[in-house]
Amino acid sequence: MTWTEQDIRDLTQHGRQLRRDVVTMIHLAGDGHPGPSLSIADLVTALYFRVMRVKPEDPAWEGRDRFILSKGHACPALYGALARRGYFSPDLLPTLRSLGSILQGHPDMNKTPGVDSTSGSLGNGISIGLGMTLAGRVNQQSYFTYVIAGDGEIQEGIVWEAAMAAAHYRAGTLIVFVDHNGYQSGGPVASISGLGAILPKWAAFGWHCQEIDGHDYRAILTAVALAQAETERPSCILAHTKKGKGIPFMEADNSWHKRIPTRAELDEALAVLV
Amino acid sequence: MSGGAVVTPLHMESTRVAFLEALTALMESDPKVVVVFADSVKVFRATEEFLHRFAGRVFDVGIAEQNAVATSAGLAACRLTVFTCTYAGFLTMRACEQIRTFVAYPGLDVKFIGANAGIFGGEREGVTHQFFEDLAIMRSIPGVTVVVPADASEVRQAVPVLARTHGPAYLRIGSGRDPVVFDPPASFELGKVRLLRDTGTEFVVLANGYLLMRALEAADRLQSEGICGRVAEVHTLRPLDVEGLVQILRESPLAVTVEDHQVNGALGSAVAEVIAEHGVGRLVRLGLQDVFPESGDAFALLDRYRMGISDIVQAVHKLCGNSAKSQS
Repeated sequence: MTWTEQDIRDLTQHGRQLRRDVVTMIHLAGDGHPGPSLSIADLVTALYFRVMRVKPEDPAWEGRDRFILSKGHACPALYGALARRGYFSPDLLPTLRSLGSILQGHPDMNKTPGVDSTSGSLGNGISIGLGMTLAGRVNQQSYFTYVIAGDGEIQEGIVWEAAMAAAHYRAGTLIVFVDHNGYQSGGPVASISGLGAILPKWAAFGWHCQEIDGHDYRAILTAVALAQAETERPSCILAHTKKGKGIPFMEADNSWHKRIPTRAELDEALAVLV
Repeated sequence: MSGGAVVTPLHMESTRVAFLEALTALMESDPKVVVVFADSVKVFRATEEFLHRFAGRVFDVGIAEQNAVATSAGLAACRLTVFTCTYAGFLTMRACEQIRTFVAYPGLDVKFIGANAGIFGGEREGVTHQFFEDLAIMRSIPGVTVVVPADASEVRQAVPVLARTHGPAYLRIGSGRDPVVFDPPASFELGKVRLLRDTGTEFVVLANGYLLMRALEAADRLQSEGICGRVAEVHTLRPLDVEGLVQILRESPLAVTVEDHQVNGALGSAVAEVIAEHGVGRLVRLGLQDVFPESGDAFALLDRYRMGISDIVQAVHKLCGNSAKSQS
C-alpha cells in the first residue's frame, strides 16, 4: 500500500471531521462514550478512508474487507466514519441511542448498514474476526479482517483463547489493533489489573507484532502494509493512543469515558477541531 | 397417532454417532456447512476419515468454548451454516453470553449440539459433567429453536430439519449409550407435539428424551390397572406447540411432565405456562427437584431422582386421586 502526502492531508481532514461528528452526535443524543471514540478515531479513519476495500453502496458485498469494533462502546467513531463514507446519511448521527434509530448504543450488524458484526460485550471481537477469516478460506475469498480491541478489554480471557486459536490456524489475514490508551471504565488499566508487557504476550502466541503511535497516519498505514504482507501469522498492532485525543480538555481525563459534553463544552471542542 | 414406540430398554444406539452420520450427509450435500469443535472431536465420534474428507471445513479451537461460539458467529456472519458441537453445559453455560449476544441476537445460522445432556447423559461423570440447566438457558434466549430428541433415529431426522431452518438452534444429545425409543423410527416434525399412546383421557404424560420410553412403560402399567390415558412427546421446546398442547390438555387435563432436567425452566415450566395461560389442566412435574445429583449408573440415577416408571405411575395416581376427591 502506497500513499502520498496529499493522502495524509486528506486523512487528517477526515479524522477532524470524525471527531466533530463524535462529539456533536454524543451531545445531541445526550448519551455515549466520547473518550474511547476519540482514541480510535485515527485508526478508524485510516481503515475506512484509505485501507479497506468496501462498497458503501453494497454493504453486504461478500468480497469486502471486514471490520469489527470489539470495543463496541466506541461506536460513535464507527458510525461517523460509515456515515461520511456514504453508508447512510450523516443526518442520522444525532439519532444515536434513541428509540427506533439504526444507531444502537452498541453496534448491531442487522440495524446499521456497514456494521459487519454486532459488538459491545467486551473480549469477543477477535474470535469473531477469526471466524470471518476462516470463512474467507471456505468461501475462497481474499479479504482482510480488521479488529480494534481496547487495552482494558484484553483483560477478558476469551481474547487469549482467540490469540491461541488464530495463531494455530495461521490466520494471516486477521489484523488486530490494540487501542492502548491506558484507561478503562474504572480508571487506569495499570492500577485495575495491570497487563504487564502487552506485545510479548501476542508474540509468544505466535503473532506478528508491531507497535505504533495510533494517531500517526503514516505509522498506521505502514503498519497495516506490513501486516498485510505477513501471510502466515495473524497481526497485532499495539497502537499507543490518548483517550479523548484531539480535544485538550478531554485528553487524559477519564471522566470523559462516558460523559456528555454541554453546549459550551461542545463549542469549545468544535473550536479546536477546525 | 399411536404406535412406533417399543418398550425394550436393551437395544441401544448412540445419539452421538447418529448425529455425526447426519452431519456427514449434510456436509456432503452442502459445501456451506462447517463444524466447530472445542476439543470435542472424539466426543462426537468424528473419525480421521471425517476430518480428512472435510478438511478446511472442520475447526477445533481447543478447550475454549467461548472462543468456539464467537468464532462460529464470525463464520455464520459470512453466510455459512455452522454446527458447534461440545458438551451441553460447557456450551450453554460457559459460552452462554456468546450464544445470546453474538449468535441469537443477530439471528445467525449456528446450530449448537450439546452432548452429555441430562443426568442420564452425564451419568457416572458426576455433577460437573451432567447438564440439567441447558434447556432452561436456551429456552430463555429469544429466537433459539430447542429440540430434545428421544433417540438416535430422532437425532438423525432432526439434524437436516434444523439445517433447513435458518437461525440459531440447540439440539440435545446424550452419552453415546442411548436406548432406542422408536423402532421403527417415527417421523419427526419440528414444533409439533406427538401423541404416542392414546388409550383414554384420564391422564396425559408429557415427556421428551429417553424418559419418553419410561413414560410409555408407565402408561402401559396404568392401563393394566384400568387407568387409561395418553403419552405425548414434546421434543420441540421452542417453537412450542401451544395449540397442540392445549388440545391435549382440554381432553386430558391431568398432566404429568417428566424430563431429565431441572423441573424449572424447561418442559415442566413450559407446560405449566400453557396451563396457567389457557386455564386448562393440572400438573405434576417430575425431574430434578432443584437439587444437584451425583455420579452413578444412568438408569439408577433416574430412579434415585424420581424419574422412574413407578414415580410416573404414582404421579398419575396422585392426580387422579385428588381429582376424584375434588369432584366428590
